[in-house]
Amino acid sequence: MTALLEARGIKKTYRMGRVLVPALRGVTLEVAEGEFVAIFGPSGSGKSSLLHVLGGLDKPDEGEVFMDRISFSTLNANELAEVRLRKIGFVFQFFNLLPRLTALRNVELPLALADVSEKESIEKAKEVLRLVGLEDRMNHRPSELSGGEQQRVAIARALINDPKIVLADEPTGNLDTATGWEIVQLMKRLNEEKRQTFVVVTHDPNIAENADRILNLKDGLIEGVKKGGVRL
Amino acid sequence: MRWKRFFSTASENMKQRRLRTSLTTLGVIIGISAIIALASLGEGFRTTVKARMEQGFELDVLTVIPGTLFAGMRPQRFTEIEVKNVSQVANVSIATSVMQIGNVTLYKGDKEVSVFVAAAVNFTEFQEVFPDRFRFEEGGVPEHVENDTLILGHKVNYPNEAEPAFAHVNDNVTVTVKIPTTQYPYVKLENYNFTVAGILQKTGTPGLTNFDYWAFIPLDTARKIYETNSSDLIFVRVPNPELSESVAEDIEDLFPPYQITVLVPLSFIQQVDSILNMVEIFLTSIASIALLVAGIGIMNIMTVSVMERTREIGILKAIGAKNRTILTMFLAETILIGLAGSLIGVLTGYGLAHAMSYVLSGFFKPRQDSAFHTPETPGMSITPVFSLPWAAGAVIFGTVVCILFGLYPARKAAKLDPVEALRYE
Repeated sequence: MTALLEARGIKKTYRMGRVLVPALRGVTLEVAEGEFVAIFGPSGSGKSSLLHVLGGLDKPDEGEVFMDRISFSTLNANELAEVRLRKIGFVFQFFNLLPRLTALRNVELPLALADVSEKESIEKAKEVLRLVGLEDRMNHRPSELSGGEQQRVAIARALINDPKIVLADEPTGNLDTATGWEIVQLMKRLNEEKRQTFVVVTHDPNIAENADRILNLKDGLIEGVKKGGVRL
Repeated sequence: MRWKRFFSTASENMKQRRLRTSLTTLGVIIGISAIIALASLGEGFRTTVKARMEQGFELDVLTVIPGTLFAGMRPQRFTEIEVKNVSQVANVSIATSVMQIGNVTLYKGDKEVSVFVAAAVNFTEFQEVFPDRFRFEEGGVPEHVENDTLILGHKVNYPNEAEPAFAHVNDNVTVTVKIPTTQYPYVKLENYNFTVAGILQKTGTPGLTNFDYWAFIPLDTARKIYETNSSDLIFVRVPNPELSESVAEDIEDLFPPYQITVLVPLSFIQQVDSILNMVEIFLTSIASIALLVAGIGIMNIMTVSVMERTREIGILKAIGAKNRTILTMFLAETILIGLAGSLIGVLTGYGLAHAMSYVLSGFFKPRQDSAFHTPETPGMSITPVFSLPWAAGAVIFGTVVCILFGLYPARKAAKLDPVEALRYE
């Protein structure tokens, strides 16, 4: 199987005042199409930094990221934005919805950015919201939705452009256990039914258990790979 | 993102910050109204002054006087041949010479009246040069001009409107004339008897050729009294004012340099007009400072807005918004503020101009008599001039200023690092 997403020797160091903090110290990984990969590690292990680099939001100091065999280092800021828009969906711990927009408008936003007509993008947004089970909440603003519902909206937004890969940063980190479980199930279902590729960074063993593969990240290095396996 | 979406998103954003948006827009409104108010008032003032001056001057009559301002007076006055030469210049309809007699006093019985300007003219020619100003209220130019024919300006005959006329047609009037002599006191007074042939209508409009204070006697009579054939000035009529410049040049060419001056009312008016135009531009540029201040207000508020929305910008960038998209989103807001502010500003500007012209009209009430200002002169009222190109220009100018000042914060937003922006609390 060819790798959809590939990272080679990723290094990234942050400067905190005068102190240099190495976040990633040479991460190499591959994600195949249709896989559900968990990057598991305690907080401060560099999970979020890795996800930002994998999603083209941040540039590594060293190493390269390839998506569909194209290296991110060959792309300029505009082309990277285009890749994020068409090929990548992001899901964040704090949902990161625009508070002034309704669920529907939030979900529709990537299509608006992609110049899709309003009529078409609204249609598509409704369809995706139905898929995540929010068809009757779509005219509510984020403040009127529960945490779990907000995260469903965020997942719907990540899916609307039919991305090759969804990158999720602690998607259950801000939810109670039961709701978190529902979100995990939702992602798992999308993975199985639609063969949607997921890369999820988490320190929640529940998610990790559900992944096809678990990459253990510790101090900026991948320390081990486990096969997941608990099928729902 | 499509343009329509940019503007609908922008207006949505602005609606959420109603107070802030209205205050920012208010700045633009004030700036644009100040510009429009001053410009339209200035233009109105210019139009009024120009119209007033055109009334005061006969645009198609040139005045030739001896001497120039810089080279001093010409020693001699105009000879008969010179007057004839002037009348033969191309495009001259008619030229007539005037001999100025200066101060004279008129007596009738026990009544006396001083005349500021007594002039000796050829009545028929003079009437041809000034058909609109040499008009009679009583009598007229007699068919056969006698040596003792006298024509009085309106104000000469009615120095005080409340009192009865000084004289009527066919009345006999004694004129006391000062005649220069070669012996001390170098002037002698002589009395001549004249018969009033006509009384001029009130000119009403102020100006240099306001004959209300003039009295006229025949040129031939004056020549006999003063024993000279020369004259002091020549009035030249041209078929239309556009020809006045070229005719003036041709007349100047008849004389050696710096010997004479040709007064061209049209060029005088044009100069005053261009001065007023500069004043108008000056006023408008001062008003533009207000718009500049509004622009800085926009820059300020947009910078704050970018800071507040840092996280939102991070989200947009994460889901694939390009720098250009973010830039346009913020610019769309400044464009809307600029457009709305300028449109409202144009309307309030004209409103303000009308209010100001109402207040100002009180200051232009006539106060004293002068050649330009007679009690009959109506008070000067300034009507603000509405001009569509000006209004459109102001709207474009206002919007462009807003875009320019919005550019810095919008670029700042566009250049935010997505990861940093997402972390921003």
